[in-house]
Amino acid sequence: MNVYKFFLSLSLTIVMLLLMDPRSFYGLSFHEWAGLIIGLFFILHKILNWGWIKKVTMSFFRKCSGKARLNYVLDVLLLAGITLMILSGISISRTIDFSWLNLGGSPMFWRVMHTSSSYITLALFGIHLGLHWNWILQRLHIKKVKNGKEN
Amino acid sequence: MVKKISFLIFSVAILVIGVISFNKLSYGDRSTRIFSFSSDAPFEGRMGRGPEGREEFVRPEMRELPDSLRQQFGPQDGERMGRGHDEGGLRNVEDRGRAEFPGGKKINIRNVKWFLAVFALFTVLAIYIDKAYCLIRKRKL
Repeated sequence: MNVYKFFLSLSLTIVMLLLMDPRSFYGLSFHEWAGLIIGLFFILHKILNWGWIKKVTMSFFRKCSGKARLNYVLDVLLLAGITLMILSGISISRTIDFSWLNLGGSPMFWRVMHTSSSYITLALFGIHLGLHWNWILQRLHIKKVKNGKEN
Repeated sequence: MVKKISFLIFSVAILVIGVISFNKLSYGDRSTRIFSFSSDAPFEGRMGRGPEGREEFVRPEMRELPDSLRQQFGPQDGERMGRGHDEGGLRNVEDRGRAEFPGGKKINIRNVKWFLAVFALFTVLAIYIDKAYCLIRKRKL
């Protein structure tokens, strides 16, 4: 399971970086389709870590370590960022027709929202990766798992 | 020890490149633009000069350009694109879909490296802040 999680996280990171510039890779059509797919990948990432989410949600205000709380808040912010990114992306999309959704708002607002949310989300992604660095080193067998406990 | 020092040098290099990329992309400004966005405010142009302050752009004639630039956007480009000599170097917009950027069919990851640098900057910062926090906590216990 951890191998799947690792490769899913790795592909999420690579696709996210490629999506940061709409001109990169295969242009705007790639940007829009991959942007939608990354949303599904993100949901899959959450499903694979559902056990942890459930555990921390139950004990957030009671018995919970500071780092777990920080990770949880960061994950909520990431979820909000990805949602805003996809929503704003849908409203300004040009190669996929989402006009039937009638999201409203000015295109300028959605464009600024798309840029800001994607920049903030990339920064949060970086922090998220940094806080899970030990887990990555363990997956790559660079660092040994202490007392059978995984990060 | 050598390993630790090399890791430290590598991290400092990531931080320096990350900060340069952060400034190059105007990352801070673009991230926080949504918080200062006002739909009622008039569009102020690209550099915030406003419509009054905008200088009228006069497109120079091809023959007025210096030789180095004329070679760069020379007649061969214009002919290849099926346009007149004076418009050489401009891409044929009609052939592309309305949503395609220039070079849409080519793999172009030129700008991704700057984002990768900023991403690495935040990752390295988080790693070291986490390490420092753990160290402080250990000393307190």
